[in-house]
Amino acid sequence: MNPDLAPRTGEKLYRRVQKLMGNRFELTILAEDEHRAATCLDAAVAEIQRIEAALTTFSDNSLTNQINAMAGIAPVQTSPEVYDLIVRSLRLSELTQGAFDITYGGVDKSLWNFDLHMKALPSPAVAKASVRLVNYRNVVLNPQDRSVFLREKGMRIGFGGIGKGYAAERSKAVLQKIGVKSGIVNAAGDLTAWGLQPNGEVWTIGIADPEAAHQPFSRLNITNMAVATSGNYEKYVVIDGKKYSHTINPKTGLPVTGVKSATIICPNAELADAMATPMMVMGVKVGLNLINQMKGIACVMIDDHNNVHCSDNIRLTV
Amino acid sequence: MQKIYLSASFFFLSILGSFAQTATPKDTTTFRRRKLKLEEVNFVSSYYTQDGNNSAVTGGIGTEELTDVATNFDLTFTRSDAKNRAHTLNVAVGFDHYSSASSDLIDPTTISSASAADNRIYPSVQWSMRDQEKHYAVGAGLSLSTEYDYFSKGANVNFAKFSKDNNREFGVGLSAYLDTWTVIYPIELRTIETNGTRVDNPEAHGSKPRNTFNTSLSLAQVINKRLQLSLLLDLTYQQGQLGTLYQRVYFQDNSLDVERLPSSRFKVPVGVRAHYFVTDKLILRSFYRFYSDNWGIKAHTAELETPFKVTPFISLSPYYRFYAQSAADYFAGYQQHSPGERRYTSDYDLSKFTSHYAGLNFRITSVDGVFGIKKLNTLELRYGHYNRSNGLVSNTVSLAATLK
Repeated sequence: MNPDLAPRTGEKLYRRVQKLMGNRFELTILAEDEHRAATCLDAAVAEIQRIEAALTTFSDNSLTNQINAMAGIAPVQTSPEVYDLIVRSLRLSELTQGAFDITYGGVDKSLWNFDLHMKALPSPAVAKASVRLVNYRNVVLNPQDRSVFLREKGMRIGFGGIGKGYAAERSKAVLQKIGVKSGIVNAAGDLTAWGLQPNGEVWTIGIADPEAAHQPFSRLNITNMAVATSGNYEKYVVIDGKKYSHTINPKTGLPVTGVKSATIICPNAELADAMATPMMVMGVKVGLNLINQMKGIACVMIDDHNNVHCSDNIRLTV
Repeated sequence: MQKIYLSASFFFLSILGSFAQTATPKDTTTFRRRKLKLEEVNFVSSYYTQDGNNSAVTGGIGTEELTDVATNFDLTFTRSDAKNRAHTLNVAVGFDHYSSASSDLIDPTTISSASAADNRIYPSVQWSMRDQEKHYAVGAGLSLSTEYDYFSKGANVNFAKFSKDNNREFGVGLSAYLDTWTVIYPIELRTIETNGTRVDNPEAHGSKPRNTFNTSLSLAQVINKRLQLSLLLDLTYQQGQLGTLYQRVYFQDNSLDVERLPSSRFKVPVGVRAHYFVTDKLILRSFYRFYSDNWGIKAHTAELETPFKVTPFISLSPYYRFYAQSAADYFAGYQQHSPGERRYTSDYDLSKFTSHYAGLNFRITSVDGVFGIKKLNTLELRYGHYNRSNGLVSNTVSLAATLK
């Protein structure tokens, strides 16, 4: 063919990796050229930055920190967005018997703190005392003026367990709105995929091996679906032959044991993100019992003995 | 390194061996099994709707999807080879992304390459292997494709080596395409006159082979945050039926034949591409290629494109391409070939010419709708002027709108 007449472009995948919300975000979209891709990715990144500003606990004037600053003093009026997110968070707490709890930010780290060199667990009493301010039931909502009140002085809320998933979901919505038909938003391992790859196939997602986070142990094909994984990976200690994860049970204040990793698959990245860690906290039996009763959600867990446990709606192939 | 691989494969074996076991280690105990209420059973589909605030959150998109939930998922266990390298086979199987709790350890190059896009309508098998520790990747593939007048079998192998920081990449690819073309002659040449009667032209039937062998070398280097350079060299050898048998050639004596071209051709394009990110708003994309083949064509292509973002949602992208080539040894125009020649063509793509193509691309994107029209999220106006020295001039204006 005459090189002058060669076709110039087709739809290709474009990717941007950027540190957002303190995490590594990777946005991949299908677009016809680099410039169009950059425009779309800018809009998605702007959305994530907007969410970060509203939810962060690292800046004093964020809505979240205003609520925290007024804990035990007075209700704080919030935006519809933050209010709705808190409403959903509290429903998640009810669903998971408190394994998911946005008031975990109020944990008292002066009593004890997890570190990789610890040789002994704190006593149950000390551990319990460290989470005395953690209780989602003490978040008082007023739908009339969308205000939020934390009953106890010193209570703190944080969106660490749901914010990344929410940002992934929102940025996907922005991208879809401006016409991006296919893509993946990967918020540090909490990801949501829609549309098809350029070769017409659905996306293939690898689930990280808890022994080696950069290596997948299994894969699944999805589209219009989100996947999130929580795991102890290298962050655990062994005390008396038992592995304890850096994930803390918000009800006891003690580190979680028994589960190495939990992966949630469902259509919504926010929900997947919010449910993965509670699965580790609740454990294999209670966690899978919960998932198996719910529709449209699946879970894969690996326990400390490397046994794989799946919800009933997962078929295994080797 | 050896140690890592042992523990990883051990883990894999223990997963495979563990399905029969039911012993579950004791979980953290503070939680009890309980029967869910109906609204909790439907928690996923009602996640946004129950509080009545769905529109604010989903933008009207998420909820529709939520109701259309696949009920089953297939989970496939992956194998790594003895050296813990990741293999992928087939266009359908490749790791696009990982889900993991730890972000920093995720390999930044997890997406499968977009080059597989060509395979969409053709059956093909593609294998690739990437060794992250030794910074290289290899791949191989086979493909078949069919159109009404040709059948093509292809095979390729490729190798790429990355620098430790991934700022430099060297690639080599070899490919071969063995094609078969159906012979199609112009209508008046499908019969020939012998001894005053017209008989069937035996050459106007059947099929002819055309084989293409290609070697491509590329070197990409990120010079700094603003500048990326790549060098491209291709060596292509073709043999077989290279002339197009339905293209006519008229001779000085007004006689007629189909074009006849040599049965082999050797092509060498060498190119350099540079992308310079001037500011966040302006990119200079330039490209130059020199092309030469043993049919006597030498060509130069130079391109410059400067996308400029006026605002995050409005962009202007002026574009210019210059192309010049010398004529193939076998080219002459209408009724200019003399009847005694062995090789001849009148295809103007093989003539000497220069061409200029200049264009401007204007694009508006808006989340809330361009010009306040909610359904309209992208509007693009393209103008292009093409001028070829041997007579072809064209102006194109196109307006493209993307509706949600």
